[in-house]
Amino acid sequence: MHRLMGNGPGRHLTRGFLVTALVTAGLAATGSSATAASVTIDLCAVPGTLALPGDPTAVDVPFWGFALPDNTTGSCVGVPARVPGPQLEAATDDTLTLVVHNLLPGGHTPVPEVPGLEPTAESTGTDGDGNPTVQVSYAAAHSGTYLYESSGDAGRQTAMGLYGALVVRPAAGQAYGPETAFDREAVLVLSEIDPAFNADPDAADLNDYLPTYWMINGKSYPQTDPIQASPGQTLLVRYLNAGFDNTSMALLGLHEHVVARDAHLLPQAFDAAAETIPAGGTEDTLIQMPDITPPVTAGFALFNRQLHLTNGPTTGSPSAPTPAPGGMLTFIHP
Amino acid sequence: MVSTTVPPVVRPRARSIGQRVRRPGLVLTLGAALALVGQLHAEAIPADAPAVGMVCTDGTLSGSTRTFNLVAKSGDIETPDGNAVFMWSYANADAPDNGSFQSPGPVLCATQGETIRVNLTNTLSEPTSIVFPGQDSEVTGNGTPGLLTSEAPAASPSDNGSASYTFTASQPGTYIYESGSDVAKQIEMGLYGALVIRPNTTTCPAAAAPCAYDDTTQYDRSREFILLLADIDPELHHAVKTGANYDFDAQRDRYFTINGRSFPDTIMDNGSALLPTQPYGAMVRIQPTGPDGRPALIRLLNVGLSNHPFHPHGNHTIQIAQDGRQVARTEHFGETIGSGQTEDFLLKWDDQTNHDNWNPNTNPLPVAQPNYRNLTFKDGNTFYAGSPYLGYKGTLPSGTTQQNVCGEWYFPWHSHALNEFTNFDEGFGGMGTLLRVDPSGGCFAAPSSTVLPGGVVKSGSVTALAAADATYFQVNPKTTTRPNSTNATQTTITVASAAGFPTSGQYYVRIDNEVMQVTAGAGSTTWTVARHQLGTSAATHATGAVVTALANDWYAGFTSVPAGATNLKVTYGGKNCATTTGTTCTALSTNLPQQTVKICNWTIAGAAGCSTATSAGWVTLPAPPAQPQGVGSSEISSTWTTNGPSADYIGTGANAGQVRVLVHTERWTAPSPTAFATWGNFMQVVYDAP
Repeated sequence: MHRLMGNGPGRHLTRGFLVTALVTAGLAATGSSATAASVTIDLCAVPGTLALPGDPTAVDVPFWGFALPDNTTGSCVGVPARVPGPQLEAATDDTLTLVVHNLLPGGHTPVPEVPGLEPTAESTGTDGDGNPTVQVSYAAAHSGTYLYESSGDAGRQTAMGLYGALVVRPAAGQAYGPETAFDREAVLVLSEIDPAFNADPDAADLNDYLPTYWMINGKSYPQTDPIQASPGQTLLVRYLNAGFDNTSMALLGLHEHVVARDAHLLPQAFDAAAETIPAGGTEDTLIQMPDITPPVTAGFALFNRQLHLTNGPTTGSPSAPTPAPGGMLTFIHP
Repeated sequence: MVSTTVPPVVRPRARSIGQRVRRPGLVLTLGAALALVGQLHAEAIPADAPAVGMVCTDGTLSGSTRTFNLVAKSGDIETPDGNAVFMWSYANADAPDNGSFQSPGPVLCATQGETIRVNLTNTLSEPTSIVFPGQDSEVTGNGTPGLLTSEAPAASPSDNGSASYTFTASQPGTYIYESGSDVAKQIEMGLYGALVIRPNTTTCPAAAAPCAYDDTTQYDRSREFILLLADIDPELHHAVKTGANYDFDAQRDRYFTINGRSFPDTIMDNGSALLPTQPYGAMVRIQPTGPDGRPALIRLLNVGLSNHPFHPHGNHTIQIAQDGRQVARTEHFGETIGSGQTEDFLLKWDDQTNHDNWNPNTNPLPVAQPNYRNLTFKDGNTFYAGSPYLGYKGTLPSGTTQQNVCGEWYFPWHSHALNEFTNFDEGFGGMGTLLRVDPSGGCFAAPSSTVLPGGVVKSGSVTALAAADATYFQVNPKTTTRPNSTNATQTTITVASAAGFPTSGQYYVRIDNEVMQVTAGAGSTTWTVARHQLGTSAATHATGAVVTALANDWYAGFTSVPAGATNLKVTYGGKNCATTTGTTCTALSTNLPQQTVKICNWTIAGAAGCSTATSAGWVTLPAPPAQPQGVGSSEISSTWTTNGPSADYIGTGANAGQVRVLVHTERWTAPSPTAFATWGNFMQVVYDAP
């Protein structure tokens, strides 16, 4: 079967604006339709090379990532891989179909998953370029923040970078409903990379897995994107832990109101200054931006409290045994 | 200081950590160790700080501004396996020791609404700082700009760096303070501590105080505990000390601490001289929840780099807050505390007092207990009492060393990531401490022997005194006979036997209806007497007349009361009955016998001071209730608290651990001082164990 629903290669959208890739943290939400729809999103699983900040020099690390097909041709050939993959969007009650085009090295088959959403149909095929496709449909019955990933090769595909964020929205400016209204939004995909694993994903011994890059949305400090929200605004932070480590994120000078975990509202929301997001889990918090001067001009620090705040192999020199700050750190600024 | 030879130490494994000398106390004789304790109280905290529980550093309050003076400096901590670890920490410049190194930093305590000012002096060779996670009010720093906060510059050869931080303590709670500079290194090096903000009277009305937060979070003031979790990779510390390389990605923690100590050091007292740079113990010590129902408060903080699954054995804990904010309550027997988090828990222990009331005498467990001969204990050493009942000790296999004082219970609280329950991979150790549950009201002990310096046993034995029940230890007055007749005026009389009569002092006896006072000759069979005492008339008495003492004196002996026990109390309950025969208590409701309960003060004249009923070492237990008490056939039970140091009443040397309590009952007031029997029902001593 060539395509399940398609009429030509590339992505097909019944509601195109919903799949806009919102990868820049802090973008305001787009609007959405009140009517449930069928949304099909084509994703390319492609190998790429990631330039990571090094100490002292940058390093290029091979990885596998998701990408959107070429906007014009609809082809996955030649599109650059990204980590995390594009941010996907759906409206609550949509039927979401992911079509993953496999451009991975031979012998690797993507296994799309969206933990928290029930798959309703699955099939395989081949696209116009002759690349195999795997297609899975989901009922996006619940609003919330979801990871999508490819868990193939016993999880090695996820570690290689095949993950991203899926946001299911009930309405513009709301995470779950009126009680979770927000003014600004930051989607933070937390993950890490072990370059040694990435260099040899088939044979690397996972007992030796030792990440040296700790990332927010695929970037390590100082390359991470700052988050902007003005005093008086409500900032929605969507955490997604695509890494292997239960990650505790500390917020300096602010509390965040933890409203949801794993795309479900908590029966009792609470306030936290440091929150642990389990590996594979998601969490949504609301921050009321205060009208005070932050501790530093960069803003209120949001950082990995397990202190994964270095980049790359970190052995220092005897005179300066600590490398420059890096890793899973960003700032929220007014 | 005692001179001693320090033997070479066999380390558990070869590694590059340099020096190590075993902790001195481990190689000294016991006596020498005690001398050391006397000399070297850790002075980072006041000498009168409680042995267990949270010890606050209050800073200086001027107006509504509370100031703390901290010094970032280096020092060493000791680990139970004989290692030492080079650390950085915050010292308290206002401490009795003027800011000697301590780990972790002082527990800063303040009250909601106050302005907090923390002055930081930096003696380290690189910039450092303090951040206050969870403080949402504006923190103003006056140092130099850094990545996360304002910093104190590195110390130069001529000058220390400095910075200060000012903020409003806006919300009560349990918070961390820690370095905000080069955090991957400096926090791991030990630059952390706890900040406790107590609610103001608006949040917690005075009538409800103390509360952790609002008045739904009341707790028992004497049961407030702080457990600050951290972890240590000694390779980093060694690298920092020697200026060597260290790979943060290869971090592997080897030591896991609570309040800066690893188990079993965690259960040593606050301010232990054996741990001079680690002043904070982590033993959680409670009694069953009291009549006011207030629970203990456990403040748990994780400044480590790992999330720690902390597992409290015993009763479940009830979480009430995270990061200084109340949460919906949840019950836990295991709760992962994330890196950088704080969690507050309430802990009640009311099964024993409100539900089960298991008691070996009156409410035994419905299952047989294991035979002690079938028990073995690791290393022949145990905290187990040998009895499942709170407050009771039982039998252990011979040769077992018992750490138990009076039947209290111990439960481990520890990280359930069991690699963290170790010291350099050797278990048990590391991130563990003990919950100690003492019997309600304190340790209690029943007497193990009785002695009658003035009286004879009518029936019963010392075991009858173990419980307030229907069994009694019954004592009649001592009697003897006159071998000869007695005329109405003679003042020297002989008796068949003086045994059981007081051997010294003066006392009353009765022959027929005449009361005489023995004024000399006590202890012999020839007495000098004053005639017709207490309103009676002189009379002649026939040969063989019975001589009866007019007082009953008996004492009970307690053993194994530990040296160092405090707050010693005595409880005695009993009655006096009108006849000296029969198995029922004949009513006695007028002209009541006067009862005086005394305790042996061993410091007055040693054992000899409490050898007879009138010896000088017996001191009357002080009011309340006042003594003597008139006690008839209506039973009266009283509890007295001893005066002065409890140690005065606990024997030493050959009498180590002994406590003696004397019951003196006399009835020599007019008009009818007839003989009576004393029926003792219940006697115990209660104390706070060391």
